[in-house]
Amino acid sequence: MRILLIEDDSEAAAYMVKGLREAGHVIDHAATGTDGLFLATSERWDAMIIDRMLPGLDGLAIIQAIRAAGNTTPVLVLSALGKVDDRVRGLKAGGDDYLVKPYAFAELLARIEALSRRVSAVQPETRLKVEDLEMDLLARSVTRGGHVVDLQPREFRLLEYLMRHAGQVVTRTMLLENVWEYHFDPQTNLIDVHISRLRQKVDKDFDPPLIQTVRGAGYTLRAAR
Amino acid sequence: MRPANASLLGTTTFRLALSYLGIFTVSAVALLVLVSWSTTMFIEWQVQETVEAEATGLSEVYRDRDLVGLSEIIGHRVRQDLDARATYLLMGLDGHVLAGNLRAWPPEVGSQVGWARFHIMPTGGLGPGAEVMAQVYELADGYRLLVGRSLADARRVKSAINRALGWGLALTILLGVVGGYFTSRHMLQRVDQMSRTAKSIFGGDMSQRMVLSGTDDEFDSLAESFNEMMDELERLLEGIRTVSDNIAHDLRTPLNRLRSRIDLVLLGPPDCEKYHRTLEETLAEADNLLATFSAILTISHAESSARLESFQPVDLSQLASDAAELYEPLAEEKEVTLTCGVEPGLTVKGDRHLLFQAIANLVDNAVKYTPAHGSVTLAVSSLLEPGMVDLVVTDSGPGIPEESRDRVLDRFVRLDATRTTPGNGLGLSLVKAVARLHGARLMLGDAHPGLEVRLRFVHAKD
Repeated sequence: MRILLIEDDSEAAAYMVKGLREAGHVIDHAATGTDGLFLATSERWDAMIIDRMLPGLDGLAIIQAIRAAGNTTPVLVLSALGKVDDRVRGLKAGGDDYLVKPYAFAELLARIEALSRRVSAVQPETRLKVEDLEMDLLARSVTRGGHVVDLQPREFRLLEYLMRHAGQVVTRTMLLENVWEYHFDPQTNLIDVHISRLRQKVDKDFDPPLIQTVRGAGYTLRAAR
Repeated sequence: MRPANASLLGTTTFRLALSYLGIFTVSAVALLVLVSWSTTMFIEWQVQETVEAEATGLSEVYRDRDLVGLSEIIGHRVRQDLDARATYLLMGLDGHVLAGNLRAWPPEVGSQVGWARFHIMPTGGLGPGAEVMAQVYELADGYRLLVGRSLADARRVKSAINRALGWGLALTILLGVVGGYFTSRHMLQRVDQMSRTAKSIFGGDMSQRMVLSGTDDEFDSLAESFNEMMDELERLLEGIRTVSDNIAHDLRTPLNRLRSRIDLVLLGPPDCEKYHRTLEETLAEADNLLATFSAILTISHAESSARLESFQPVDLSQLASDAAELYEPLAEEKEVTLTCGVEPGLTVKGDRHLLFQAIANLVDNAVKYTPAHGSVTLAVSSLLEPGMVDLVVTDSGPGIPEESRDRVLDRFVRLDATRTTPGNGLGLSLVKAVARLHGARLMLGDAHPGLEVRLRFVHAKD
């Protein structure tokens, strides 16, 4: 993936550039708002990471400018402002996702990869398939190797999200935000308990296990190697 | 702010008093002129009437009894007129006086006929005498008759009125200036007092408040608003100070632990596996720190926000059901029964995410502190108090002794002294802050056994 990073903190930028390159992405970095806007409009990118507070030109202003120019490249907004209204403002300006500093690198990576998938899957799908796990979105039914898997509505949504991002890492926060649609800090390993329930139904009697735990990051849905 | 006495004449109040005084003076003078003029007119009109009546009487006498009778009557009337208000003169063609109380024909009248005004010489002979209003008739054979009456009374009344009004005016102006001076000095003193209070608050004494005079006037209401503002400000500042104190106290310990852990590993011989393990532990610790930090920020955000205009009606029943659903697997894992009794469709005004965080904290605590085979209930109901919505979380855990119930709402307070259960001691203080932000009452009670936490919201009906 070609990713543009607009971030004025050079240390944070170096850390992100290194991490994203190791994850196999091509990344370019701009340290000011004006340079960033120039790069954003002059080249094609698969995704952009834009810090909200920048010297020269504000991050949200850059997003508004590129959106006004008809550019639909997915944008992840990075910010130290974490209140709900800040988040809403960031998304209203045209951001696709909002990540509050400080964050874990795994979270950033998972989110930026999820963003690129979001664009490729714009047309509505009716069936999802990972290995022998199949989901019919219209009939709201799930089968694994031909056997019906009986899921609660929330479990269905949880599995749907995992399947839509099959092969990618999804973090616990991403699951809370997208499956339960609440921004909050669970004080306990809530998501882990829900995942372990889902595993009981999807993986227990089948082989290979599909729901994998990624240490220090979250979960991913793929056949274990 | 200027010093009181030097700038008194320049105060708004004094300027206002002066301009009112000016307007009042002009209208008083206009009134005075009008009163004086109309009084004079009225008296002169009366004099004129009297003169006319007398002249008519005398002309009848002349018609019936000729000059001789007329002279007699005039003589008689002059004798009767003791206070010398009336003036008569009957004079022949050659200028000799037949009857009357004037020595000669007044030169101011001359040969004119009809109404005339002239002055008679006073007996003392000094200065102009009283003004007389008279009617002059031509009789047969060149005889002329003058009938008049003194205007001295009218003049006296007029000058008495003028004098009275003049004094009144002078007194008005004097009272106006003095009153204006004292009023503005009074106001200025209060403004000065307020300004001094404000200055000492600037100076850092946040406990200072405006003094109320108790008269319930505009200054009192201004002072009251100011005091309310200061209370709120002080509360917010206190909040900020508590947060920084807490950050200092409660984040320093784990940070120090983090540091010494790294330190210790670096002191030992290089060992790749040990490094890896330490780094993982450090990362977990850092994540904990970040979680604590963001909880502190959420609390301060909830504490410092005003009740936002942007608060939307939120389906509290839905939030409670979602929270129950979210925590149900966790409860099951702990072998705790989580039951949810929610009256559907109850809405309150608020922030959806903060409210959910508060409910989640309550359920999380309840599940955490309830031993295996215990039960946790989450209920939302509007039936307990009219116009209110109650959210109640009950557990069958150890509960909280009554004397500690206030204390657990403070930050970082954990009754479990050994700190074996996970948590940062911020859960209930966040609930408290969210409750305050939403104008909800937070009540801790006994569930016999266990803890009952009740949040009472105002029901937002549309």
